[in-house]
Amino acid sequence: MISRRFLLKRLLLLVPVLFGVATFVFAMLHLAPGDPARLIAGRRAPDAFVQQVRTELGLNRPVYVQYGEFLLDVVRFDFGKSYQIQKGAPVSEILEARFPVTLELAVLGQLTGIALGIPLGVLSAVKQDSLTDHLTRIGALTGISVPIFWSGPILIMVFGVMLGWLPTFGRIATTYTYESVTHMILIDTLLSGNPAAFVSAARHMLLPVLVIGIYSMALISRMMRSSMLEVIRQDYMRTARAKGQGANITVMKHGFQNALIPVITVIGIQFGTLLGGAILTETVFSINGVGTLLVEAINNSDYPVVQGTVLLFALLFTLVNLGVDVTYSYLDPRIEQ
Amino acid sequence: MSTETVDGRTDTRNALQRLRASPFLSELLSNRLALIGIAIIATMVAVALYSRVTMDVGAISASQLSNNPADQFLSPRAQYPFGTDIQARGIFDRVLYGAWYAMQFGTVTVGSSTVLGVTLGTIAAYYSELTDNVIMRTMDVLLAFPSLLLALALVAILPEEWGLWRATLALTLVYTPRFARVVRGAALKVLEDEYIEATEALGASDPRVLVRHIMPNTLAPITVQSTLNFGLAIIDLAALSFLGFGAEPGTPTWGIMLSQGVDQGLLSGYWWWSFFPGLFLAVTVLGFNLLGDGMRDALDPRMREAVD
Repeated sequence: MISRRFLLKRLLLLVPVLFGVATFVFAMLHLAPGDPARLIAGRRAPDAFVQQVRTELGLNRPVYVQYGEFLLDVVRFDFGKSYQIQKGAPVSEILEARFPVTLELAVLGQLTGIALGIPLGVLSAVKQDSLTDHLTRIGALTGISVPIFWSGPILIMVFGVMLGWLPTFGRIATTYTYESVTHMILIDTLLSGNPAAFVSAARHMLLPVLVIGIYSMALISRMMRSSMLEVIRQDYMRTARAKGQGANITVMKHGFQNALIPVITVIGIQFGTLLGGAILTETVFSINGVGTLLVEAINNSDYPVVQGTVLLFALLFTLVNLGVDVTYSYLDPRIEQ
Repeated sequence: MSTETVDGRTDTRNALQRLRASPFLSELLSNRLALIGIAIIATMVAVALYSRVTMDVGAISASQLSNNPADQFLSPRAQYPFGTDIQARGIFDRVLYGAWYAMQFGTVTVGSSTVLGVTLGTIAAYYSELTDNVIMRTMDVLLAFPSLLLALALVAILPEEWGLWRATLALTLVYTPRFARVVRGAALKVLEDEYIEATEALGASDPRVLVRHIMPNTLAPITVQSTLNFGLAIIDLAALSFLGFGAEPGTPTWGIMLSQGVDQGLLSGYWWWSFFPGLFLAVTVLGFNLLGDGMRDALDPRMREAVD
């Protein structure tokens, strides 16, 4: 069981990290070479406009006042207003519409990776040094070496352009309309009660999810294999076998459960990599998520949007890691000490 | 060259012989996958140097449309092994030259984050709790960001005209905390050894203890980390170029070629625009991952038992 003290301690440790994250994101704009107001207004903007930006955003006030206000705003999830790409729209509203898109993609990709990677890793470990093992290991190593912006185009080329089986970009065929409730298209189309729209969305989703899934599968199967190999060599495994328990039962009952613990950490840590992967996947498949939003915001020097996106990602990543720690200590109570 | 060994006898073997006798290297060289990795890396380095010496980067970057307008969009053939692009440029030469960019900027990225990380990590391990806390908590904050995201955030505030150097600097800062963490852990272990105390008792200065005694003993984990990070650096540099935050469009880097291939060539069926740069990129990264994996196994005694 998890003690309340441990949970509280982990939550308290979160505060300085998140404070540091917010400070870094604030400092970003002020440490950048050049005048922040000029950066936001655009390099070739007339001086009058730069002056206007400075006053509007309060950039002419002392830095510590701006910093204090920034921290207060962040706690209230107020990231300011977009200055370029959706002029005047609150950044939190833009993120609310875009973030679920990325989350849906990353979570489905991660689930695919887990569903494929864990059995592959176990199989590879149990049949150590067999042909299956060698193929799985080389496959997994190849999987983490292939960038998403290459595997994506290849899948598009084969299944979209050459075979014509699957759509190659966007999230749904333009003929369908649906109401955006959750902004997660699979759920929204289900709610709209139009099965054809759901099928179209699912077909659009297949390749992007597969691209992320392959990468995640490769990472997870590698970790699962080495963790399983370590567990198999433990004394208690030999004892269970000596007591006359069948090999398969021993592996599954005693081995699998214990081997899973370090893999959970990896799944958590690589969630950050996966969010990065989602940014690239969105660009390859022209999906309007946070990734494409961030790229657009950087290209247009829309700093409030950049800051909001970066903060949101860091918060999410930190929370996922907290969740991993808590799960870890639940599975292996020795961790608390 | 001779060295006094622990028991006072003189070791008459030369440096190379001693290196060969080390369990780490013999372990590594008996690992077939690691050898394949070394072969891939050596080939790519050769390709990089060859292209750098024999090719004129201006010529392969410039549009060839006015010279041979009929050579636009050609699929792979004898004259153009990897086909041609929208500017009638031969993709083969461009892909080869891409190896130079990958190796050059990969080396700078990994090299500078290693130096920064080693410096910060050893200082954090050696000095007071306060210094340690300030350095490592800063590293924690940087590690709280998903890596590509942190790189993008840094790219957003650096001047655009820095081109590939902008991406290089951003990634250097992204990788530094990883090295600092590994080095600090290894250095703390070394600090527990009695010989450090003995050295200090003999009056060695702080920098001397740090550079002569602590750093060499953290070399092994750093080498593994650098090798694995080299592959990552090449992918991340290409990713930033792919997203439009790297080299100038037209520059023969793999990331730029992939970006152009996906944006303009893919749906028209010009698969060779993105296929070949991506293939070279993936194979190079695979080479570093194979070598890095082999090094890690050779360093980890538990893994060595498993092989026996």
